[in-house]
Amino acid sequence: MSTSPVLQINDLYASVEGKQILKGVNLTVRGGEVHAIMGPNGTGKSTLASALMGHPKYEVTGGTALLDGENLLELAVDERARQGLFLAMQYPSEVSGVSNANFMRIALNARLGEGHEMPVLKFHRELQKKMKALSMDPSFAERYLNEGFSGGEKKRNEILQMTVLKPRIAILDEIDSGLDIDALRIVAEGVNSLRGPEFGLLVITHYQRLLQYIVPDYVHVMMQGRIVRSGGRELALELEQRGYDWLKEELGIVDETVSAGV
Amino acid sequence: MSVLKDRSVMAKDLEMYSATRLEPDYVVQLRQRALELYEALPVPQYEKSDLTNRRVDAFTINTTPPDEHLWRPVAEPYIAQHAEAPLLVIADGVLVYSRGLEAAAAQGVIFKSLQEAVVSHPELIKQYLHSVVPQDENQFIALNSALWRNGAFVYIPRNMMWEAPLQMISVTTVGGHGTFVHNLILAEAQSQVQFVEIYAAPPTLSDELHVGVTEVVVQDGAHVKIGTLHDFPTHSTNVIVRRAKVLRDGQMDWIAGEVSEGYTVMEFGSVLEGQGSRSTSHAIAFGSKRAHFDLTSRMVHVAKFSDSDTTARGVMQDQAEAVYRGLTHILKGASGANGQQSEKLLMLSPESRANAIPMLLIDENDVKCGHAASVGQINEDQLFYLMSRGISEAEAKRMVVWGFIDPVLSELPIAAVREAVESVLERKMA
Ligand SMILES: Nc1ncnc2c1ncn2[C@@H]1O[C@H](COP(=O)(O)OP(=O)(O)OP(=O)(O)O)[C@@H](O)[C@H]1O
Ligand SMILES: [Mg+2]
Repeated sequence: MSTSPVLQINDLYASVEGKQILKGVNLTVRGGEVHAIMGPNGTGKSTLASALMGHPKYEVTGGTALLDGENLLELAVDERARQGLFLAMQYPSEVSGVSNANFMRIALNARLGEGHEMPVLKFHRELQKKMKALSMDPSFAERYLNEGFSGGEKKRNEILQMTVLKPRIAILDEIDSGLDIDALRIVAEGVNSLRGPEFGLLVITHYQRLLQYIVPDYVHVMMQGRIVRSGGRELALELEQRGYDWLKEELGIVDETVSAGV
Repeated sequence: MSVLKDRSVMAKDLEMYSATRLEPDYVVQLRQRALELYEALPVPQYEKSDLTNRRVDAFTINTTPPDEHLWRPVAEPYIAQHAEAPLLVIADGVLVYSRGLEAAAAQGVIFKSLQEAVVSHPELIKQYLHSVVPQDENQFIALNSALWRNGAFVYIPRNMMWEAPLQMISVTTVGGHGTFVHNLILAEAQSQVQFVEIYAAPPTLSDELHVGVTEVVVQDGAHVKIGTLHDFPTHSTNVIVRRAKVLRDGQMDWIAGEVSEGYTVMEFGSVLEGQGSRSTSHAIAFGSKRAHFDLTSRMVHVAKFSDSDTTARGVMQDQAEAVYRGLTHILKGASGANGQQSEKLLMLSPESRANAIPMLLIDENDVKCGHAASVGQINEDQLFYLMSRGISEAEAKRMVVWGFIDPVLSELPIAAVREAVESVLERKMA
């Protein structure tokens, strides 16, 4: 699979606990592209990410999502991952008793497939190198997965996993929250190191700041479970300066959702 | 529960049994008295366990020597490990294998079967047998006292720091005769010892009643660690009491791996009789198939500044069910006592059941007591997280379960028990 990946989302509907959240999302992400999704709180950005990855709480009620032409929605979560989909989560889980390094090695070997496992020593060498690049202390390899990590440490750990697993399409959900400016730069470097024709990226953020480091080709605005406006990187700047109210007015959207308050 | 056939017949059978084993008179009398107590005592009632439908009365006294083809395969993995550790293998109440006892004896450490000890050390047995768990505590204890087949006797002299764990493996190969094991551990002042007891049986074992008693006396400043692995198959009913009496500044550490698939009622813990005495317990219970666990860790604080710390993890899969009671009892006068407990239970399947009941009985004001109890299902978000990295659902579940157990497992203070529990869990986890 050395071809350029493509994620096609067509008229996607999804609900959580009986509540319709996504109401017809259309979006195509190709290898080499960086897309950003912005939008007020509670408008469905994380829901889109979770539905694509296959979280059991999020029920897809309509539409399709294809990765390289294959129907993602028919695959189990782990199969989606092995097809090359990756989600850096807004709130990564903590798993007690499972060491970070061991977890990543098992995950990588699952992705590489039986008979293609990476030798243990080589894995640890590469892991340490990647941790160093993300300015993570070597001790994080042996700590329990995310347990007791600070917000920023969890985000770095998500990016570390991404650089280890080398996905074809990655979704980063608010990877910038909880990061100070130095960490932001380091994390962005990690992300950018993967950029290329075989890697497509979807970045969910509230802040233009991140997009200065991970420069998007397209910016989309999500409201009421739909993408309501798409543009180039200048759209992000405009949203940051003017907020969302002008856009709501323009589109005739009246809802209780608070503005992102950027 | 009418366990025994006609009492006069049973008394005769028992006399015969004593005679074939060449038991001294005091043992014969002890057994006969226990038989009388058994008759007189009421049937024990367990709030969460109903023994009425268990076949606890289907046994007869048996003196047939055990078949090596049956006990060997069960005991072999344990025999192969830790070759440096003294070992007793008891099959159907008969000592069938031992090693390392002479080296221990040369240091004044007595490690032998209870059957031999009643002959060689009558004064110690008379003084201490049933000094911690009274013969008349309940009907099952009386039954064990009347019909005990064997067990381990451990004596550690004053100031002796004995390193290598003393191990006993009890294998039951033939059901229907009762597995009545009685262990007695005596640690003299300032001594130190580890004792490992393993109970196992082939999976084909038919209906079997297992009543086990382990009594421990921890003298002033002594430190005793006891690790247990209890792995009995489906058709077993297990009633077990493990109790230590801990004297001044003594320490007792309990480690319990309960992985039986049968019906188990087990109580373990310490009576902290000496000032500054301490006890810890680490328990791991893993239930599969139709396993039933009714487990109680019981810490009784009698003396001032006594200290207890109890940790338990339970995982139930299939139709297994568990009740875990953490009982901390602080008696009047035990000022400055500190009793802590934490128990967490995890249910892996919709049909499994788990219940954690912390019980703090406190009759003294100036004490510290704490507990944390939780019962839950496997966390959906954790599974999703692991699977989102390409790990299969089965593997992700295993990781979460191991992760749940590991903080207790990795702390188990006896390596042999830790490894044994690990390998059993590896085998049983679906
Ligand atoms: N697991 C859940 N259970 C119940 N409601 C949920 C759940 N997940 C999301 N929702 C609801 O769905 C809506 C969309 O939530 P979502 O997390 O997708 O928003 P978002 O755009 O990512 O917001 P934010 O910018 O705050 O991260 C919200 O009303 C939220 O409360
Ligand atoms: Mg979100």
